[in-house]
This record gives sequence, structure tokens and C-alpha cells, in this order.
Amino acid sequence: MQNSKVYMLGGYQTDFARNWHAENKHISAMMREAYLGSLISTEVEPSDIDAALIGNFAGELFCMQGHLGAFLINFDPCFAGLPTSRIEGACASGALAALTAMAYIKAGFYNLVCIIGVEQMKNVSPDKGGDFLGTAAWYEKEANGIEFPFPKLFGKLGDEYDKRYGLDDKYLARVSEINYRNAKNNPNAQTRDWFMSFEHANTIGAYNTIVSGRIKITDCSQVTDGAVALYLASEKFTNDYAKRKGLNINDIPQILGWGHTTAPIEFAQKITDSAGGEYIMPFTRKAITDAFERAGVANCWELDCIETHDCFTTTEYMAIDHFGLTGPGESWQAIEDGIIELGGRLPINPSGGLIGCGHPVGATGARQLLDAYKQVTSTAGDYQVPDAKKVATLNIGGTATTNVCFILGK
Amino acid sequence: MDNSIKTVVVLGSSGTIGSLVGGLIAQNGIKVYFLSRTLEGAKTGLRRAMTQARSEVISRYIECGDYDHLLESALQDADLIIESISEDLEAKKAMYNRVERYRKPDTIIGTTTSSLPLSALADGRSPDFRSHFLATHFYNPPGRMRACEVACTEATDPVSYDIIKDFLKNELRREVIAVNNVPGFAGNRIAFVLFNQITSLVEEYGAEQIDYLIGPYTGRLMPPLRTIDLVGLDIHKAIIHNLREASHDHMYEELALPDYINKMVIAGFLGNKTKGGFYKVLESGKQVFIDPHTCNYIPAIEPHVAFVEKAKRLIHLGLYHEAFEAINTARGPEAEIVKDILCKYIAYSYSLIGEVTKPEYGIAGIDKVMTTGFHWAAPSVIVNVLGGKEAAIDLLHARGVQVPEGIGREDTLTEKALGSMKYFIAR
Repeated sequence: MQNSKVYMLGGYQTDFARNWHAENKHISAMMREAYLGSLISTEVEPSDIDAALIGNFAGELFCMQGHLGAFLINFDPCFAGLPTSRIEGACASGALAALTAMAYIKAGFYNLVCIIGVEQMKNVSPDKGGDFLGTAAWYEKEANGIEFPFPKLFGKLGDEYDKRYGLDDKYLARVSEINYRNAKNNPNAQTRDWFMSFEHANTIGAYNTIVSGRIKITDCSQVTDGAVALYLASEKFTNDYAKRKGLNINDIPQILGWGHTTAPIEFAQKITDSAGGEYIMPFTRKAITDAFERAGVANCWELDCIETHDCFTTTEYMAIDHFGLTGPGESWQAIEDGIIELGGRLPINPSGGLIGCGHPVGATGARQLLDAYKQVTSTAGDYQVPDAKKVATLNIGGTATTNVCFILGK
Repeated sequence: MDNSIKTVVVLGSSGTIGSLVGGLIAQNGIKVYFLSRTLEGAKTGLRRAMTQARSEVISRYIECGDYDHLLESALQDADLIIESISEDLEAKKAMYNRVERYRKPDTIIGTTTSSLPLSALADGRSPDFRSHFLATHFYNPPGRMRACEVACTEATDPVSYDIIKDFLKNELRREVIAVNNVPGFAGNRIAFVLFNQITSLVEEYGAEQIDYLIGPYTGRLMPPLRTIDLVGLDIHKAIIHNLREASHDHMYEELALPDYINKMVIAGFLGNKTKGGFYKVLESGKQVFIDPHTCNYIPAIEPHVAFVEKAKRLIHLGLYHEAFEAINTARGPEAEIVKDILCKYIAYSYSLIGEVTKPEYGIAGIDKVMTTGFHWAAPSVIVNVLGGKEAAIDLLHARGVQVPEGIGREDTLTEKALGSMKYFIAR
């Protein structure tokens, strides 16, 4: 069972520019659209779905609605009795739902599992939303009474880089600009029609104010409503599916490797623990290297692109050296050399990432996997990395507390 | 030949469209001259452009000036001229005299007019001017409405069209809709014919009730009378007048403006800009509505119709087809109004294929302008939620509406159609 293969059959992403609160729609309407869209794009038969997992962080807080798996039962008459669960791990909820689906399939429980990542966030005020997101940190110690706890904490991540290795904020501005630029090619990206330039991201002004510490507005990911539905399947199911669709099973992407770690929840403890070590977030590094090892990938240069967590520019700055594009503390070099840009040696976030594409918290991990699928199947349209065969995703919950890395490829 | 557009002049940059389109161009790092009658007017436009971009840095690409001091040198520098001055034929023609004097050969001139005939605007101009002259009709506000209709005259060089199309699409991220040179182009023609029909119902049912019945749940971001308040009743009246003047068919009768709208315009109830049109918000925060019989404002009645509320509840849950089933099976005068307007919208839209857009586009061009110019559900999507072609034809037959030849099947739910469900708002 451990060695059984897990395939990905594609899925559907809602347009992350939408405001479902302004449309006065229930969170289940978003899930329904993602589900219906995934049926159209994959041609999966509802009756073939054995189980469903929902990745969602805080439906109870944002929408006064938990128990999201139960809503699927109304989507199709054949779903009566379908096993469903909701999986939560802060911003890593989407990837954890996929990981759980993978475990179901490897254990032989089910052959076809539907994963829906979903979050509705625009229905509360920014300060209330910031407070809710604070529950992904140690709320009592790190968030209670603090206006925007996460920008503050990820600003401190930048400060730690600065302390250990030096950090020029112009590289953070470049990370922001690249993500926004990539998002312009993504028809589902939240910021695709927004203005951004390096000059703007690198300038503090009336429209680019400091949120906390070294974090400006342009360093932040977005508040986003969105859902993504996708399918993981066993080899047995995928064989039949490939035959039905006239495909070669070798052309259908597999999850080649995965890594999953959890660090202490408190940011300060992580920093204290990693003092004197090579990496600032060693558990993030371990999730990545575990995935590499399981996928038989020697290093990052065997990848064609990466979809990484960039809830803030400092997060992506951390991901660059933790993936091994540079030595520890030298992420700036990969940015300066254009390595992470589309057309570069190892593009990061061709989709625009959380900064450009948007960050509906519980959906992000699923969105990253769907974008990896699109890259590997050459269906990413205008943000396609030519001939992409292996793609990594890194989904992080809290302050690099829960870390999930996948390698998708053929 | 280098067709790239490096420098643009915006004439009428104190206005909303001029300044916001100019701002979009500057966002791409292209130099833009913001010209207006006064320097202060141009600077007002610059501030608006910065607010749209949410950035001050775009001002590095914008140079403001007035016509007397900067027009000559700016025009000599320009690869593209966007003319967005007031909708006055004589004023535009006088401006074109000055443009003709200073522009370089091959500089394209795009007018943002929504109501003046292109042939009259181009009348008397040089062959080079006319071959580079076309309409670039943006929708307001261009930061949110991505549609841009492009219409050529018989004299427009196809190369000019190709250059402007590529520029609008690639630099300004517009949904470019090639439209025929007809009054109202595609979007305003359809929307304002519908608006006129809707305003004619107000005397019988009241403004509040009509906007409630034909509200966002029927596939529009904003109810129709509220949209007219935003446009301005004076502008609405002018557009209806121009469409009517150009009509030679049954539309002439349908475009008769209800008399109460003339009274509202005379009384100065022009909409949002005069803080009162169909709607008015009192100092207390209470909303009141125009009484078309007296032109006084009357208190809200807060309508509540069972099928409307049911449709909204279903849309709230993402059950769009079920919502339209509820509308379709409802009985009574209110349901008839909603069904009439839906039928009119789809029948009129499909009947205009080939007249306002090229026949080979099918309904796609009209779909595009209604979604990205008005944030209305596309006619093809209305057919889909009604149950597809046959169901839509049944509905049209039942109401005695002529079935247009080009009506599409639209019975399959595509990913694109699914994404378009955002235009059905549960309000």
C-alpha cells in the first residue's frame, strides 16, 4: 500500500477576484460551483466519488458555519451517505485535505476522493478578519489585542533574516512585483487587473503604507473568497478513467512525493530553536527534503517550477533558500538573477501565488496543487512554464508551523 | 514599421473617462499627456488616475497641461490621441481642427464618444486623419468595466484598427469588441432600449417596485433605475434621443421617452450627481423614491413578492437554474414583468447579431460587452439558466416575442458559463 500510486485528475478553481459576500452567497454556493466546475473539467462521474474532504480554516468564525463536508450531500442525489470530513491546519488546510485523501487511497479505503478547499473571508471587516486569522498563531500569546498579528510575525521573519544574513527590502519589493506580474497572466487571479510596479512596491506612500514593521501593503497576500475542487485517485480507478477518456495513464500526473512537518506554534520559540542552525525554519526545510526524498528528486533543479506559500514577501524569501535555490540567507541572489521569474531557471509562483492569485486560506493548498496539475499537463494557458514535468508545492499554516510539500509529476 | 505606442495624448483629461483611461495607459509605463482647458482640470484628472491605480508612482509618466500651452508639442510627440472632450459635435470638430494642424501623420485618433455619429465627426477631415480615426468606446469606470468597443468608419485603415486592438488588449487589458458603426454600438443599444422599456413601467408600478422586480437577482450588478441614476437622467435622455433618431424600424415607437422623465430632467432630478433621481437619500439616511405622476418623492414601501424572494434564496445557495425555474413558473403581473424583460433582453440581443457586431462572432461579442461593460449576465447565460434554447423559445412564444434566428443552444453548462453566475446576485 505504501508504494501504491496516487494520481491527480484535475479540478476547478473559482475566480479569486469575486466577492461572494457582495453577491450575497453562502459558502456552500462557492463549494457547489467548484464541485460543478470540476465535473466539467475532469468528466468525473459523481457516482464514482467514494469520499470527500474539505480543506477549510475558519468557517465557524468568518461564516458561522462549520461541518462543511455535510453540504456536499445536497450537491448530487447519489451522494446520500457519502463519507466526508473537514480538515483544518490553518493556511495549510487545503494541502492537509489532499494529504488525507492520499492516505485514504494508499490505505486502500477509497479509489476516488474529491477534495474541496474553501474559505470565505470578505464578509467581515479587516480588523475582525485579522483577529480571526490570529487564531492560526498562539492566540493568547501572539494575537490577542494585536490589530494585524500575522504581518507583525512575518515582519519579524524578515528581521531575523536581516539579523542573521542581512536583508535589503528591495528584494521583497521584487518578490511582490513578480507575483503581481505573473498574476496578470492568470484568468482566475484576484489581482490580475490591479496596478503594480517595482517602483510602487519599493516605495512607502499614501497607497503603500506600512502595515507592521518592514511589511508594507504590497508585501501582503490578499483577503480572498475562493474555492478549489480537485480529485485524487488510485491507480485502479485512474486506469479505467484513462481508458474511458482515451488517455494514456502515463500522461496523468501523480503525487510523486510529500513531506509534512509541524513546528512549535509560537514564532519566538521557532526562532530560538533554530538559532545557530543552517535554516531559520528547519521544519519547513524538512518537509521539502522529505518530499524530495520520497519523489526521488535530488535537489530543486530537477523541478520545473514551484508554487509556494507567500502569505508575505518574507515567506517567499524564506522558501527560496529553504527549497535550496541558494544557500541559507542568500535568497536575494536568486531574485537578483531572475531565477524565480517566468522564463528563469526555476520559476516560483507562475500563478501569482498568494500575493497575486489570492489567498482564500483553506483553499490555497488545493489551489497550489491544481496549478501544479495545470503546469504538468500543459493546460496553464498564459502562465504555462514550457514543458513542465515536475512541480513542487509548499503550503504553510501559521508562522511556518504546519508545513506540507508535494511533488507532482509524471 | 514601428507600430508601438510610446506616447499618448488624452484630450479632455479632466473628465472621468479621459482621466481614468489615461491613468490605465500610464500604469503601463507609457508616457501620457493629460490635456484639458485648464491645468487645474488636468491635475484633477491626474488625482483621479492615481486613486484608480492606488499609487502615486504613475504620476511619473503623466504630464499635465492646458490646450493653449501644451497641445502643439504634445500632439507632435503622440503616437495615439484619445479624444474624450464633452459630447458636443461642434466642440469636438473644433478640437479636431487643432489636432489636424499638429498631429504627426500615422497618429491614431480614438474618440470615446458614446452618442455622436462617427461620420459627422470625421466630416471635412484630411484623408490621413480619416484613415486613422475610429471610436474607442470605454465603459465607466474603466478600472472595473473592462469592455472597449472599437468601431471604424469606411475610411479607417484596417492597420489602424489592428494596432489599436492590440494596444487595448495587451497593454490596457481590455475586452475588445469590434462593433459596427451604428448608434449606441452594441452595449448602449441593448441596455438603453431595455432601460427605456423599464422606465415606461414606472408610472404603473412605481420606481421602487420595478427595481425590486428587475433587481440584481435577474442577472445584473445594479438594478436598472439605480443604474440610470448613476448614468444621469440627462445623459439617459440624450442617448435614447440619439438612438431614436437613428431608428428606422419598430424601435422608433419603443424608444419614446416617458414624459415624466422629461419633467424630472427639467426639475433637475438628474440622479446621483444632483443627489436625487429615481432614488433620493434623505438626511435621515432614509431612502425615498420618485413618484412619476407628481415628480415628488414618496416613502419606501419595501416590496415583498414570494417568487422573487424564493429566487433570491436559491441564488444564495448557488442554485441558479432552480431560481429561474421559480421565476418561469411564477404567475401574476409581477412575474409577467420579470419574464417580459428577460425575453426582451435575450430576443433583442440575439436579433442584433450581424447588425451591431459581425455575424461570425455569433452572440460572443454581445455577451462580452454586456458582461464586461455593464456587469449583466450575458444573454447566452440567461438562455442557459432558463433551461437552454428550447425552453427559451417556449418562453418567447408564450409572450408573443419574435424568436430571433440566431438564438443559440446554450444548453450545456460550460466552465465559462459557470463563472458567469457571478452576475446573479442574491439581492
